[in-house]
Amino acid sequence: MTDLVDLQAPAPARRTPRSLTLSVGLVLVGLHLFVALLTLFWTPYDPTAMTGGRLEPPSWAHWAGTDRLGRDLFTQIMIGSRIALTVGAGAVAIAAAIGVTLGVLAAFATRTLDDVLAATFDILIAFPTLLLAMLVVAATDTASLFSAILALGIAISAIVARLTRILAKRVLAMDYITAARTAGSSWPSIVFRHVLPNIWPTLSVNFALQFGIAIIAEASLSYLGLGAPPPNASWGRLLQEAQGTVYTAPFGAVAPGIALVSLVIGMNLLADGLRDVGDPTRRRSR
Amino acid sequence: MSRRQSWAGWGAGIATALMLVLGGAGAQAQDADPSAVIRIGSLYEPQNLDNTAGAGQGITEAFNGNVYEGLFQLMDDGSVEPKLATDYTVSDDGLTYTIKLQPNVTFHSGDPLTSADVKHSIERVTAETSKSSRKSSLSTIESIETPDEQTVVIHLKERSISLPYNLTYVWIVNDAAGDLTTSADGTGPYKLDAWRRGSSISLVPFENYWGEKPKNGGVVFNYFTEATALNNALLTGAVDIITSVQSPDSLAQFKDNPAFTVSEGASTTKEVLAYNDRVEPFSNVKVRKAITRAINREQLLRSIWGEYGTLIGSFVPPTDPWYIDLTGVDPYDPESAKQLLSEAGYADGFTFTLDTPNYDPHPIVAQFVQNELAKVGIKVNINIITANEWYTKIYQARDFEATLQEHVNHRDIVFYGNPDFYWGYNNPEVVELIASAEASATEEEQVEKLKEANRIIAEEAASTWLYLYPQIVVSSASVSGYPVNGLNSQFFAYDIVKRAQ
Repeated sequence: MTDLVDLQAPAPARRTPRSLTLSVGLVLVGLHLFVALLTLFWTPYDPTAMTGGRLEPPSWAHWAGTDRLGRDLFTQIMIGSRIALTVGAGAVAIAAAIGVTLGVLAAFATRTLDDVLAATFDILIAFPTLLLAMLVVAATDTASLFSAILALGIAISAIVARLTRILAKRVLAMDYITAARTAGSSWPSIVFRHVLPNIWPTLSVNFALQFGIAIIAEASLSYLGLGAPPPNASWGRLLQEAQGTVYTAPFGAVAPGIALVSLVIGMNLLADGLRDVGDPTRRRSR
Repeated sequence: MSRRQSWAGWGAGIATALMLVLGGAGAQAQDADPSAVIRIGSLYEPQNLDNTAGAGQGITEAFNGNVYEGLFQLMDDGSVEPKLATDYTVSDDGLTYTIKLQPNVTFHSGDPLTSADVKHSIERVTAETSKSSRKSSLSTIESIETPDEQTVVIHLKERSISLPYNLTYVWIVNDAAGDLTTSADGTGPYKLDAWRRGSSISLVPFENYWGEKPKNGGVVFNYFTEATALNNALLTGAVDIITSVQSPDSLAQFKDNPAFTVSEGASTTKEVLAYNDRVEPFSNVKVRKAITRAINREQLLRSIWGEYGTLIGSFVPPTDPWYIDLTGVDPYDPESAKQLLSEAGYADGFTFTLDTPNYDPHPIVAQFVQNELAKVGIKVNINIITANEWYTKIYQARDFEATLQEHVNHRDIVFYGNPDFYWGYNNPEVVELIASAEASATEEEQVEKLKEANRIIAEEAASTWLYLYPQIVVSSASVSGYPVNGLNSQFFAYDIVKRAQ
């Protein structure tokens, strides 16, 4: 083994932790993605069926135990993965659509409009994500999975918009943009050919981070009863339901907690890894 | 003919009966320490000290029967006994009550109790500015006269057999006392020592109490904002008693431990699946009965409360005088539920929205109902709402199909006699029975009529009464003599004794 390594081109030793971050992130997120897809076809039990006794501890039959109604917790946690990923992806997609559009618009706008937009983003960012999402949910008539996604997407879009604006402005100040303008390129062509491709790597890292934030925010909303309504097995609702029984049946809170933490850490590691891979300046500085 | 009820000589019998009941709740009282201060742990700190100023249930818990007394007292077994009244007579038409007061009663401030205090106290509750939840039940009072210092005459607009019961909610306060939101001046066995906001209310025995002296050296109500902290306080000996436990799961740590006593009493809190009886399909009795039969309430109760709690077949709990066991009217039977649904024209089921308050136990109860009804073809959409939304959307606007709610009051079957109530149950026969029951000449007649009303609402499944909450009191094993039912949140402290250490 050692001989082999010696024969190889001298790989920089510091590269290992970088790719480790990325691979652990990929594995964690991939695992959740696999479970989420699996639940579309198969779960150990019917998630609403009362198949066990009240608060049974983990066993071979019920890997994560049962809840107060005797429903299998492992099944509900698996479905929770699907809900978390749906919410994360949906919220980030909405945030990207709104945020990138407004951010680019601000970067291109006249000075006055730019100032107004920038101030609006700053004000929206000053609201905690969760609070903003609660306001949006309150404005919709009934809580549903969609209203939770929409609320979180809107709440996160301000962060994305501000980042996009700054990144786009930096690109717009470049000489090649001046050259493109002189050459008569229309602004849509500048946006799609020059701005977006240049800011995309940084944005996608941010999306991965916001993905994790959206998942935690959805769990918080569900914990407060404002997220996806039952019987959607959101981890936040599972945690809320387990709260009262945490002394007698701690597994009910531990298992969804582990699921939530592993996905969020996975997303953060993925974001970290993506940044290290995608950011050339950072790579050089190491 | 004038009906006269004399209460002389009853006191001793009641005391004996109470001791028998309470003796079973805890340890023997033989080596009790008469100077021991009883520390009671509760989650319900009052907002202020005045029950006509929106103080909340905590003030009833701390002060009813302890600091303040009424003309009558609602005992822990649900009976109504005279307290500051010695006896009373009712005129033939039932519209005039002449009440004699207990002699030699003084307030904590030293003032003697007079009929003027009683008049003042009742008018305080019925006043325009009063926030008392019992205001409307006393609205039949037309005027109050005080012919002499020991006699009160109450004139009614219409007959009201429940007047003595309704008067149990009226504290007799000193008419010379000023603002009662931060101080107290009652006639009870304890006087207020100190209220430390956010922390505790301490009561000390009143040396000039007219009746039997408290069996302990004082009481401190310690307030907690969180059930776990409260349980820990009992575990570590910081309090002696917890007034009401809200989930069975915290009991595990006390149940098998000889250092603690867990007692289960009868509460008046009912978990209700209430329909909007005005709207299709819930206006159809068969649909309501079908839903009731489709839900396995026994399994639900065991899921929520473990081994505690009681099944009820109607809105009336066992501590109401008109209780009858109606659990057999619509037993769990999914097959007959399907049968009833097809008779009602819903053989293929239907879909409805269940507005569910966002706090325990409602969301989990809603999921259980959703599961059970899916088996008979009814699809339930759960809509989670806050307590505030429940009040505006359901209680005020009646904009709902079905909802879950816990109803806490004692003797609240009257809600089914009010077609304007949020669930809109409107059966003229029940309305008539409930209205005429209040105008009854005798209690027997009242009980008879309300039993009949009770039977009808159960037969028609006006709502589905899922279960009755248990009332669980946990105490240190060295403490006994406390009330087990805690009716209307009362917690009489004067008979509590603590064994000498």
